[in-house]
Amino acid sequence: AATEWNVSVWGKRRAFTEHVEKLAELVSDKTNGEFTLNISYGGLSKNKENLDGISIGAFEMAQFCAGYHRDKNPSITVLELPFLGVNTLEEEVAVSHAVYGHEAAQKDLARWNAKLLMTSPMPQYNIVGTGEPRDAVAEFKDMRVRATGGIGKAFSAVGAVPTSVTATEAYNAMESGVVDTVAFAQHAHLAFGTINRAEWWTANLNPGTVNCPVVVNTDAYEALSDAERTALDSSVDEAISHYLANYGALLEKWDAVLEEKGVTKVMLPEAELAAFRATAADPIREQWIKDMEAQGIPGQELYDLVVKTLEDTRAGN
Amino acid sequence: MAGNAAVLEDGSLISRLDRKLLKLEQVFALISGLAVFSLMLMAVVSVAGRNTMNAPLPGYVDWIEQAMPLIAFMGIAYVQRDGGHIRMDIVIGALRGRALWLFELISVLLILVLMLALVWGSWSHFSRSFDFAAPLWSRDSSIDIGLPIWPAKLLAPVAFAVLCLRLLLQVWGYGRAMVLGLDTPVAVPLIQDAAEQAAAEAEQLSGHDNDAIGGQG
Amino acid sequence: MEPIEIGLWVTSFLLVLVVVGMRVAFAAGLAGLVGLIWIFWAKFGYSPDKFGKALTVSVKIAGQVPHSKVSSQALSLIPTFILIGYLAYYAGLTRALFEAAKRWIAWLPGGLAVSTVFATAGFAAVSGASVATSAVFARIAIPEMLAIGYNKRFAAGVVAAAGTLASLIPPSAILVIYAIIVEQDVGKLLLAGFIPGAFSAVVYVLLIVGIALVFKNVGPPVKGFTWRQRFEALPGALPIVFVVVIIICFVYNPFGGDAWGTPTEGGALGAFVVFCMALWRGMRWGEFKSALLETAKLTVMIFTIIWGVLIYVRFLGFADLPGAFSDWITSLEMSPMVILVCILLAYAVLGMFMDAIGMLLLTLPVVYPAVMALNGGESVAAADSAFGMSGPMCAIWFGILVVKMAEFCLITPPIGLNCFVVAGVRDDLSVQDVFRGVMPFFIADGVTIALLVAFPSIVLYLPSLAQ
Ligand code: NA
Ligand code: NA
Repeated sequence: AATEWNVSVWGKRRAFTEHVEKLAELVSDKTNGEFTLNISYGGLSKNKENLDGISIGAFEMAQFCAGYHRDKNPSITVLELPFLGVNTLEEEVAVSHAVYGHEAAQKDLARWNAKLLMTSPMPQYNIVGTGEPRDAVAEFKDMRVRATGGIGKAFSAVGAVPTSVTATEAYNAMESGVVDTVAFAQHAHLAFGTINRAEWWTANLNPGTVNCPVVVNTDAYEALSDAERTALDSSVDEAISHYLANYGALLEKWDAVLEEKGVTKVMLPEAELAAFRATAADPIREQWIKDMEAQGIPGQELYDLVVKTLEDTRAGN
Repeated sequence: MAGNAAVLEDGSLISRLDRKLLKLEQVFALISGLAVFSLMLMAVVSVAGRNTMNAPLPGYVDWIEQAMPLIAFMGIAYVQRDGGHIRMDIVIGALRGRALWLFELISVLLILVLMLALVWGSWSHFSRSFDFAAPLWSRDSSIDIGLPIWPAKLLAPVAFAVLCLRLLLQVWGYGRAMVLGLDTPVAVPLIQDAAEQAAAEAEQLSGHDNDAIGGQG
Repeated sequence: MEPIEIGLWVTSFLLVLVVVGMRVAFAAGLAGLVGLIWIFWAKFGYSPDKFGKALTVSVKIAGQVPHSKVSSQALSLIPTFILIGYLAYYAGLTRALFEAAKRWIAWLPGGLAVSTVFATAGFAAVSGASVATSAVFARIAIPEMLAIGYNKRFAAGVVAAAGTLASLIPPSAILVIYAIIVEQDVGKLLLAGFIPGAFSAVVYVLLIVGIALVFKNVGPPVKGFTWRQRFEALPGALPIVFVVVIIICFVYNPFGGDAWGTPTEGGALGAFVVFCMALWRGMRWGEFKSALLETAKLTVMIFTIIWGVLIYVRFLGFADLPGAFSDWITSLEMSPMVILVCILLAYAVLGMFMDAIGMLLLTLPVVYPAVMALNGGESVAAADSAFGMSGPMCAIWFGILVVKMAEFCLITPPIGLNCFVVAGVRDDLSVQDVFRGVMPFFIADGVTIALLVAFPSIVLYLPSLAQ
C-alpha cells in the first residue's frame, strides 16, 4: 500500500521550508507516488511542540529550532553558541550534520523517538537598529536588543539589555522603542518587517545563529520499505542543495533590499569584533560545556567536533 | 445561552460534599484571579523598569506564558459547579422532570469521559517535560530565559482532576434526581430561564456598582 | 473513509451535541477527540488490535492542546481587558460617565438616549465585554429615561444596542480572540475597531435623533445645565480618557513619533490606572476579591471554549477540512463579493442561535482561510486582490465585519443576550418589549455593516497609518 507521511512545519512556505518541499517532491518522484509527504503549515502542532508530536507519533516528520526549548535538546544547542565562526550556509550545513551524526546528539533526540534527518541552515544573525549606527562594542552598552538564547547572552556580556518580545511583536517593539535593535536572520528581518523600521544593519557582527533540524519519527522510519528509505535518504543532499541555492538568491537580493529601504550597512572593525568575542564567546562557551558535562553530555567533545569540522570544511574548499 | 444557575443546598451527604469541594474550587479560582492581577503588575514593573532604569523585566514574555495556565485552568471546576460554561439551552430548556435529568446526566457523563482522557493526555504532556535526572527536573524550558515549563504543564492535569471530581458529584446529583424523580435536586446547577438568569447576573453587577457609588456618597 | 468525510461526520456530531445542550467547550473538545481517534484508527486500517494505539496517540495529541494554546502572550490581553471592566464598576466610572454625557449633550432631541450611547461608547473604551456593559447601563440609564417620560421599549432598546459597542471599540476580548485564531497582529485589529465602533455609535445617534424628531413622545430633550455643572461632571470621567489615551499610544502614537510600548503592555497599564482609581474611590479587599473572582470566572469560561474548540481545530488540521472548504469556496462561479455577503448572512442566521465567541471559534478556522483565498491569498497585493486590499488588510477588514455581525447577533431574537440582560434588570420590561424596542437598531446595524463592506477604508484607515 502507499505510504503517507504527515510533516509538521509552521508559518508560511518560505526559504526556511524549501528543503522540506523539495524533499517531498523528490521522494514522491523516486517512488512513483507510492511514498508521499503531506506538509502541514501549523495545522498539526505548535512549533514549540513538534518534538512532542514526533514522540507521540502524531506525525512522521517535523522541523523545530533547538533554541525554542534548550532543555528538550541540550546537545545540539552547541550549534547555537555565540561566535562559532561559521561564515557560510555551506559551513553551517557541515557543522550541523557533523553534530547530528554524533552519538550524544542521537541519544538526546532518541528520547523523543526522533532521528535527525537534515538541518535548515540559517545565516548568522545580525542586528538592525534605529538611530546612530553602533559600530563599536562600547556602544552596545545599555542597548535594548531583541535576541534570545546564546546570542542574547553574548549581548548581555557586553552590557546590552536583552529584552523579551515575541518575534511577531518585534516590529511593534522596535517602533515603540521597547527595543533599540533586533537580531534575526535576513529572511526573518524581511518576514517580520523589522527591516522596514531599520536605519542600519550590521553586516559582519555574526554573533551566532539558531539551529533548526528536520527530524523523523524513528518507528515510522524503520517501518519504511527499503526502496522508500533509500528514496528518502538519497534525497536529503539534493533537498539541501536546493535550499542553499534558494536562500543564496535571497541573500544576493539583500544588498538591493538594504539600498531600497535606505539602510546603512555597518562593518565593525576587526579589533572591535575581537573584543566582543573575547568578552562574550569564551565565558559562555565554558559555562555551556560545564553545564553539559554535569548532565553527562560530552560538551567539550561536541564543541571540538564543531571546530574541527569547520577547519576541515575550509581546508576542503 | 449561557450563564449562571442556582445550586440548591441542604444537609444531605451530596450537598455537604458539594460545599466542601466548592471551598477548594473557590481557592483555585481566586489563585486564577490573582494571576490576572500579577499580569498587570508585571507590565507595570517592566514598563517602569524600562523607562526609568533601562531595566525591563528579564524574560517578561516567558513569565506571562508561565502565568497563563494558572489563569486559564484553575477556575474550571468552579465555573462548572455553577453551570457557568456556555451552552445552548433552547432544547434542554424545554425539557422537564426525568427527561431533563436524563439529558443532563448524559451530558455530564460525556464531559467526564472527555476530561478523564484529558487528565491522561495532559499528564503525559507534563511528564514529557519532567525528568528527575535533569537540572531543575526540566526537560522543557522557555525560549528566552530558560524557565522550566513543567510546573505550568502540571496545572492542567491538576485542575482537570478537580473538574473530574466535580463531574462525578454532578453525575450522582443528576442520577439521583432522575431515579427519584426530583423537581429541585441539590448540588447541581438548575436551569433558570434566560430572563431569570440575566436578572441574576445583572443583580450581581449592579450590586457592585451601587456599593462603589454608595461608598462615595 | 477519507479524512474529509470523517471531518464532515464529526462536525455534524458536534452540531448535534451543541444543539442538545452540551456545554460548547466540552462538546468541541469531545468531537475533536473522537475525530482524532477515528482518523488515526482509519490510518491504521481499522484493525481491532490497533484501536488502543489510535486512542493513545489521539488522547496525547488532545492533551497537549490546553497548555500549548493558552500559553500565549497575545491571549493574556483577554483577562486583562476583563479585569479592567470589573475594576471600572468599583471605580464608579459608569455613573460618572453617564452624568457627564447627560450634562453635555442631553439637550439634543432624544437627549438622554443620545447621552446613553455616548456614555456607553466611553465605557466601551475600558470594557471588553458587551453583555456586562448593557447590564450596567440598564441600571443607570433606563430609570432616568423613564422618569422624563420615555417610551420604555425604546429606552430598553437603546441600552441593549449601545452595549454592543463594547466589542468593537478597544479593548475588546472578542477582537483578541479573532486575532489569535487567524494569527494576525492584535494591535492593528484593536486599532481597526476604533473608527467602526465610533461610526456605529454615530449611526445609532442619528437614528435616535431622527426617531425623536418624528415621534415627539419618544424622548424629550433635557436642558438647563449650566456650564459650571457641565465642567464639574468631567473629572469623574477623566480616567476613561486617560485609559483610552494610554491604550492608543501603546498601539500607535497619534501625536507623531514612536508608540509607547506594545499592545499587551498598554492593556495592562490601562488596568493599573483603573485599579488605582478604584482604590482611591474606596475599594476594599472584599470588593477586590469579588472583582478577581468574577474576572477569573469569565476568563476561565472563555479559555475553556478556546482550548476546547482548538482540540476540534487540531482534528480539522489532521482531516484537512479547512483546505477542502477553501478550495470549494474559490471554485464557486460567483463573484467574491456575493460570496462574502452570503458568508455574512450565514453568520447573521447562525448568530440568532449561538453565542458570539463560540460562533467565531467554531467557524473561523474553516471560513477565514476561504475568505483569504477568495481575496487572492494571504500575501496578495492590493492591486491583484478581489476586494482591493492586501492579504493582511483583508484579514483586519473581515475581522471587524465578523465581530460586528457577532455583536448584531447579541440583539436579534430569539437568543439575544443583551436583550435578556436588559429585561432581567427591569421588572417592568419583558424580553419581548426589549426585542421590540431594539428593532430600529437592526436597521442602524444593517446600514453600518453595508457601509463597512462598501467602504473598507472606514476600517482600514487607522491600521494603514500604523504600517
Ligand atoms: Na471595548
Ligand atoms: Na441573537
